[in-house]
Amino acid sequence: MPTNLHNILRHMAIATVSITFAIFCWALFAANFAYPDLVPSPSDTFMTATGMIRSGDLFVHVGVSLERVLVGYLVGCILGVLIGALIGRIKIVGQFAEPLLQLMRPISPVALVPLSIIWFGIGDMSRYFIIFYGVVIIMIMNTAAGVSATPNIRLNAARCLGASRQQIFRRIIIPSAVPYILTGMRVSLGFAFMGIVAAEMIAAQSGIGYLIMQSRMLLRTDIMFVGLVTLGVLGAVIDGVFKLAIDRTMRRYMEYQVNI
Amino acid sequence: MSWDELVVENISLTFNKGRANEYRALENATMKVRRGEFYCLLGPSGCGKSTILNLIAGFAQPDSGVVRMDRQRIVDAGTERVMVFQDASSALFPWLRTHQNVEFGLTVQGLSTAGAAKRAMSYLDLVGLKEHAHKFPYELSGGMKQRCQLARALVLEPEILLMDEPFAALDAISKRIMQKELLRIWQQYRMTVVYITHDVNEAVLLAQRVAVMCRGPGSTIKEEFEIDQSYPRRLTDGAVSKILEQIEASLEAEVGSSLYAD
Repeated sequence: MPTNLHNILRHMAIATVSITFAIFCWALFAANFAYPDLVPSPSDTFMTATGMIRSGDLFVHVGVSLERVLVGYLVGCILGVLIGALIGRIKIVGQFAEPLLQLMRPISPVALVPLSIIWFGIGDMSRYFIIFYGVVIIMIMNTAAGVSATPNIRLNAARCLGASRQQIFRRIIIPSAVPYILTGMRVSLGFAFMGIVAAEMIAAQSGIGYLIMQSRMLLRTDIMFVGLVTLGVLGAVIDGVFKLAIDRTMRRYMEYQVNI
Repeated sequence: MSWDELVVENISLTFNKGRANEYRALENATMKVRRGEFYCLLGPSGCGKSTILNLIAGFAQPDSGVVRMDRQRIVDAGTERVMVFQDASSALFPWLRTHQNVEFGLTVQGLSTAGAAKRAMSYLDLVGLKEHAHKFPYELSGGMKQRCQLARALVLEPEILLMDEPFAALDAISKRIMQKELLRIWQQYRMTVVYITHDVNEAVLLAQRVAVMCRGPGSTIKEEFEIDQSYPRRLTDGAVSKILEQIEASLEAEVGSSLYAD
């Protein structure tokens, strides 16, 4: 559709302008108000980045971090949906879990780093756990909210159409919660990315988080900036792909949320 | 299943018992619906119409009294008593296409997808939704959503069709079209219909018998009116308008004011 294409182009044009503007401000600030060692200029950062891309170093770090994010995220999503469904469906379990969840929610993944080292050692298990923790709480809460928000009328409709309790759970309650689950998956993906640096504080030898931490020792703010920009770009791109995938495949689940 | 009478006998039901918001919805309500009859429950809002319908559906149980078909007590929901709800957006399964919504009741009973699809299609044809079978509910208009609910219920060939203000949210014209369609289908299948409305005109146009309920709390059936007129009915027809006036008078006494503008 021409209007659609027009919208996309317009959107991209505005995005280009805003990013260019930010880089311009950054360059202005770096050149006039700061020591180059503290705030590297965009061009220095870009040079460092191209060097790391050419040597392949950056991709190694990105690959390692992505693998950690993916494992923690997927396990968090699966367990979160299962636990959330139980909490949302069985009233007494929900009442039992509610205060615990409220207590756990404000505890950031960073706060769990020391404990995680003691529990899981300094291997990847600890890093998965840090990311998993950030994801699972959100997934539990969203799934539980979705499950318990299933309209009573819909449950009654399924009942009089002859569905058993098990069929109602599988064919009515879970699909009813899908919009909430997908929203949770998108939000928690952001949290998983935020957890990388915390996770790689734990004696990591590679990864974007490691790269950022390591640069502090060497006072290489340019590498730090490369790491930060990479995190930002990765997160934004993956979120965009995720959103597109949801819009394409889950449209029938998302559409009615607007209509209700 | 063979039965002659749906009986609601001396039922009482209180919501939120023992709490601050305790509400005595029904008290000793009794009604009898004959098999194949089009029976209408009419009353002011909050009078417990839907509560009675939910009890017949088996969604809830009364504190005292029984709901039965002949001698068989209703203790749970069952496919011989299917409900059509007012709020179609909640009642339909929004992630399923129209035909899948209609097939749902068949597939949960273990019917094959192909068999279910075939039967669903014939009922979609009956309600005039065949062309829209592949649309999702959000792509349907209000009237079409109710047609979908109707097909979803009828495909199970229920003994009793329970309708909870099914056309109350429709615009005036769609409403009249749907009333006509419902009468056509009922005359073809002769299932029992228990229909809830607060619209006197609708009750008089559709029902063979209209029960007026009193105002809550502690509501019960106040009065029943037999309407022995052939279909299609016109409100301007002498005999029909006479019954309409009688029912309105009965309802006015409950609402406590005239239904006409001064």
